[in-house]
Amino acid sequence: MSINKNTILCYRSYCLNVSQSFRRCGSNLRSEIGGKFGTSVQSYFVFLKWLLMFNVFSFLVNFGFITIPQLVYDFSPNVPNTTSFRGLEILTGAGYFNYTVMYYGSYSNETLEGAVDYKMQLGYFFTIAVYMVLCGIALIFSMASSFKANYVLADTTSGGAWQLLCSWDFSMTNERAVRQRKNNLRESLSEKAQRKQLTSSEKLRHFGIYLGAWLLSSSLTVGCGASIFFLCRYEQLTLLVPFMVSLMNMVVPLFFSLFNKFEHYSSQRRQIYVLVARNVLLRMCILGVLCYYWMNVVATEYSCWESVVGQALYRLVFVDFIFLLLGSFFGEFLSNVVGTRLLPRLGIPEFDVARNVLEIIYAQTLAWIGIYFSPLLPAIQILKFFILFYIKKVSLMQNCQPPRRTGRAAQMKTIFTALLFFPFFLGALAIVGYTAWSLTPSKHCGPFRGLDSTFSVVEVWMVQLNSTGGSEVVIFVYQNVIRSEIFYFLITIIILVIVYIFWQVSQGRKQLIVLLRQQIVNEGKDKSFLLEKLQNLQKSQPNIRSKNHKKVGIPSLLARFS
Amino acid sequence: MGNKQTTFTDEQLEAFQDCTFFTRKEIQRLHGRYRELAPHLVPLDYTNNPDIRIPLALIVTMPELKENPFRDRIVETFSEDGQGNLSFNDFVDMFSVLCEASPRELKTIYAFKIYDYNRDNFICKEDLQQTVVKLTKGELTAEEVTLVCEKAMEEADLDGDQKLAFADFENMISKAPDFLSNFHIRI
Repeated sequence: MSINKNTILCYRSYCLNVSQSFRRCGSNLRSEIGGKFGTSVQSYFVFLKWLLMFNVFSFLVNFGFITIPQLVYDFSPNVPNTTSFRGLEILTGAGYFNYTVMYYGSYSNETLEGAVDYKMQLGYFFTIAVYMVLCGIALIFSMASSFKANYVLADTTSGGAWQLLCSWDFSMTNERAVRQRKNNLRESLSEKAQRKQLTSSEKLRHFGIYLGAWLLSSSLTVGCGASIFFLCRYEQLTLLVPFMVSLMNMVVPLFFSLFNKFEHYSSQRRQIYVLVARNVLLRMCILGVLCYYWMNVVATEYSCWESVVGQALYRLVFVDFIFLLLGSFFGEFLSNVVGTRLLPRLGIPEFDVARNVLEIIYAQTLAWIGIYFSPLLPAIQILKFFILFYIKKVSLMQNCQPPRRTGRAAQMKTIFTALLFFPFFLGALAIVGYTAWSLTPSKHCGPFRGLDSTFSVVEVWMVQLNSTGGSEVVIFVYQNVIRSEIFYFLITIIILVIVYIFWQVSQGRKQLIVLLRQQIVNEGKDKSFLLEKLQNLQKSQPNIRSKNHKKVGIPSLLARFS
Repeated sequence: MGNKQTTFTDEQLEAFQDCTFFTRKEIQRLHGRYRELAPHLVPLDYTNNPDIRIPLALIVTMPELKENPFRDRIVETFSEDGQGNLSFNDFVDMFSVLCEASPRELKTIYAFKIYDYNRDNFICKEDLQQTVVKLTKGELTAEEVTLVCEKAMEEADLDGDQKLAFADFENMISKAPDFLSNFHIRI
């Protein structure tokens, strides 16, 4: 069979330069990790790099617009004589750090004179607000684009045809990995071939186990939340709460995996989804309890409460980092040692992509909540992710084997981005929004001291603009657009109408697809009918065929029909 | 690009760059890889387009292809004589189609050719059976193989003629977003 060279000539329109630069940038990642472990593990590292970019951007923005003006204005932190820098501050975030620009408390609320009159209050408020909005937009775009690319009509894609023809990863070059994949494929195929129908008593039993597992996991989650709430009262033992939080986040998912083993699922995908859902609920519950404690108890009891919350978040981030490293040590290194030397039956550990991705999503959420209370927290986060990247990479290469399930990497990426956005980012945004809207800023420290709420900064600014005859446009926009309810009402109505129209269009298209499918089947029947007729005709008149010197044979006629 | 190389003329490199997704440097690197498969056979100087073909048995010893269950079919598909003997042009074509920059349509065409063992422009049940055997190292029983192939055929065959035409295959690929990243060999 000869290749038709004309079909591959001149596909030049593909930007060679762009692809070349992409290849150089990510080549290390892809060739080392993707070649040995497959695309799903590679997607974890790509995701980690992407989150690192968020933090770099946040740090630059915060440092540039908030910290630098403060440092220019008042370089030395006004530390009382009693406290000096001891190394312990790095762990607890309190003490000396309390008086530096690390936390909300040491930012001034005045207009900083200098080359430009810089209103610190407005600067702080708008920097944080604009950063959150930009993050939200970036996440929405990323989620929408990957949703569009990867969720196309996934009706029977977990079926046999996909597994046979599309699922084999051609870029795997490691012999062990290939052997593993073949074994898993064989198991999965033979399982599919042997699947029998379940009796209704078995179905009931499965459902009962499923319900029981959900009850157990929910009660575990609620129990963890309640215990964290009680422990929060012992805030003086500064590291107790973060330690317990991280410990629960590490240990309870192991129980969830255990429950998972007893349950029966119709497909592997559902199994992963349920596991991820339970883990997400656990982390959200713990974070929710912590935020409730901070908003309701800390905000009323302490004098400079934002700095206290900032310190608590710093400790959470730090202890979380230590536990991630420990988790890597125990989960991967020790498992490898146990699996190869002591209990060979266990084998080499797998790199659990879902668990690791959830961990970094959780870490990022902490950073997002903490931006308001501690503007320099992104710097810590950058260091954390940076070190984590390299530790995980080394641990992966030395200790782990490729994941056994042929993961649907593209769909998993969509799910992870959606997870990042929906519960976690929106939750962080809600917490920061609630703080800014309803809680009274502390009276003696920080850029918003003396105001009723953080949002009243904008009102004060508007009043100022009005009295000094400032920009008319801004005042007009504020009074008639932002403050008027009719505007939001109209926007909501318009959006609802647009959503309804798009929904109807997609319903219509689904119907069209059904009709087109039916049409394909009918055409196939037509084709086979006509071919049969042609063959009968040929059989009944063989003389004409032998006289005909032109080779109008059956193959070319058949080719014309197909 | 300052160093003088005598493997290819400039026009040849231009032509390669136009017809594949590789740059000049990569093409020279590929020539190095091609040559190290059979150094006594492949000359260093390609300026007069020598007609040299490396046999299948040597090509499949490359580390990128060695562990791939479809290596024989891949090399056969890209060879002009259909027996797996690749000239340098075929070699470059093969890796160009399987590289990252290659578009989905191109990869679909060649994937179809690779899976079509008997080269009748249809993926029939026997082709699927051979695929299953290659993927599972022949450890499934005959009934299991038949059952799996029947199920796969049922899912993918749209017009009901018990064979997968290119249109059926393309339809299935369009629903699989992982295909592009899976059907990719890095060199």
